[in-house]
Amino acid sequence: MNKSRVTESFSRSSSKTYSLVELVHRAPTMMVDHGPENTVFSFPIVALIELVLVLGVVMALLWMSLGVNAPLEEIANPNQTTDPAKAPWYFMGLQEMLEHGHPTLMAVVLPSLMVLFVILIPYLDNNPHGAGRWFTNQRGRSLTIKTALYVLVIMPIYIFLDSTFPPRELLRGVLPDLVSQVVIPGIIMSVIVLLPLIVLNRQQPNAREVMLVLFTVLFVSAIVFTVTGFLFRGPGFKLFLPWNMPGGYNPFMNL
Amino acid sequence: MRQSSRPKITRAQFLSLTWLGALVVLAGEAVFMLISFMKPKASGGIGGLVYAGKIEEFPPGSVNYILSGKFYIVHPAGGLMALWQRCTHLGCAVPWAEAENQFHCPCHGSLFNQDGVVIGGPAPRPLDRFSIVIKDDEVWVDTSKPIERSNFDPSQLTPV
Amino acid sequence: MPNWIQTITNSRFWKSFFRHGWPDNPLDRSLVMSSNIFFHLHPVKVSRKSLRATYSFGLGVIALICFGLLSLTGLLLMFYYTPTIERAYTYILTLQTQVPFGQLLRNMHRWAAHLMVIVVVLHLARVFYTGAYKPPREFNWVIGVILLLLTLAASFTGYLLPWDQLAFWAITVGTSVAGYAPGAGPTLRIFLLGGTEVGQEALTRFYALHVMLVPMGILLLTSVHLWRVRKDGGLAANQSDAEDR
Repeated sequence: MNKSRVTESFSRSSSKTYSLVELVHRAPTMMVDHGPENTVFSFPIVALIELVLVLGVVMALLWMSLGVNAPLEEIANPNQTTDPAKAPWYFMGLQEMLEHGHPTLMAVVLPSLMVLFVILIPYLDNNPHGAGRWFTNQRGRSLTIKTALYVLVIMPIYIFLDSTFPPRELLRGVLPDLVSQVVIPGIIMSVIVLLPLIVLNRQQPNAREVMLVLFTVLFVSAIVFTVTGFLFRGPGFKLFLPWNMPGGYNPFMNL
Repeated sequence: MRQSSRPKITRAQFLSLTWLGALVVLAGEAVFMLISFMKPKASGGIGGLVYAGKIEEFPPGSVNYILSGKFYIVHPAGGLMALWQRCTHLGCAVPWAEAENQFHCPCHGSLFNQDGVVIGGPAPRPLDRFSIVIKDDEVWVDTSKPIERSNFDPSQLTPV
Repeated sequence: MPNWIQTITNSRFWKSFFRHGWPDNPLDRSLVMSSNIFFHLHPVKVSRKSLRATYSFGLGVIALICFGLLSLTGLLLMFYYTPTIERAYTYILTLQTQVPFGQLLRNMHRWAAHLMVIVVVLHLARVFYTGAYKPPREFNWVIGVILLLLTLAASFTGYLLPWDQLAFWAITVGTSVAGYAPGAGPTLRIFLLGGTEVGQEALTRFYALHVMLVPMGILLLTSVHLWRVRKDGGLAANQSDAEDR
């Protein structure tokens, strides 16, 4: 119990048979007016759940390993580049971003801002109410679903349009690289990310709702970029359908 | 005790601060040692001077790949230039595409002309170059330090 | 119970090891949790809500299981591996073709690594969407984000070790991205690779990072992570349960 929160509002007069001992400012520090706990002994149920999870994970990985071999290509040759050359799948989102703007913006500044935002989430939304509930409430759930759908539609369109009409190539020699590779992609990205927040702002959201929308935009965008880079990029790092890659290239060989 | 005789800082505080300062210095030393220890020995690319060939092997307009140094000797009008094969985009090895008369990186489609200047693709700057030393009609290339540049300038050429 | 079992469980040796009786009553069920170093990460009692499969999906536990499995398979792989550019690739071939269960072991290490990355990301999403980062769990969220970055580092450093074309160019491309960081980027890249290009120095450094430094970091921070989960009152579902009452 935080001592500074203890307020002595009444003197402990000897003539009184009651006194105020403490003021509880914030639930659920004290279990006042609560019914019986809805708890069970951890043993053996938790131990059993964990045992089942261990067995399940080991079995799944064993089956996968019996069926699919880890890829191994020919020995490394520093003079011959593979086509395409891809980073591990979890960095394909970054590599896909690189296709749409200057590397410093796309691979360093935006990802750093994203990690910084993710780290700061609990300090931006520090209201303890509603913890431990999926999406906090029904409104949170519908906000999340709407935002996810928005990103799932707009990001693939952006990736496709930007690859078909890349400002980098169209404006080469017309405008400085700083404009075509930093300013223009930066503005487009900012608009895509901030648009849902602007719409949301008219409904007087609380901090949790802002976090839900912003996190969903970034999280789903990261998934879209990763999937595009991993599955839809073929030889020459051009866009192809995964089942229609030229030269028999199979993106899953890169796992 | 009189107010004026009280020291601004007590003996205990002074000793604590001294210890704290010493610890900070010690930590700084440890970090310095760690960084010095981890610093790679050869800061350059492939190493020291690499022999590329006789001057007459590089006629004007030619592009020659020197495997031992992983660079190209190009000869635009005005002199020789050594271009590192490492793509400035993501480090792939850039091959010279004879048919297209340009450097064409297969990884992400960056294109460079004979001077190493970007003419297409995502590469942010021209190919890095190495400095050339000409001794008795022999072309030597210092591969220890790649030189970054933002555009082509005739001063980058070594006249022959 | 047969007599001989009682003789064993009543012996001083048994009792020096297990400091509780058969856990079929509340007292001994509490003692199991508090007197066992592995179980004491758990509370004695948990709310039914936090046990619900659709609340946590067990993602944190699965990530920990992956880490354990990776440590085990990785340790075994170390018996057959040497981080030199002349021999690393040959050793992988030997492992796959001549060592009994070598291919299986390598497969499990690879797929468990990918699964761990996926599960850790999903765990982050689960914690976010259930609001489990809220006070007093703020700093544990920060530790969790660092653990995600360490998981990526562990996977990325391991990616180079087979020394095939896939590994070489993936690491070349991946480290070149780091080189774009303004200021310290190029220096960071050279420190990571031990030179300007991927070579023997890079393989040595990645090996040291992969088998020692990064796993140690994960182990340390995971301990802090789990300890704080306990100190902050278990899963956040417990808290919402208390609010509902």
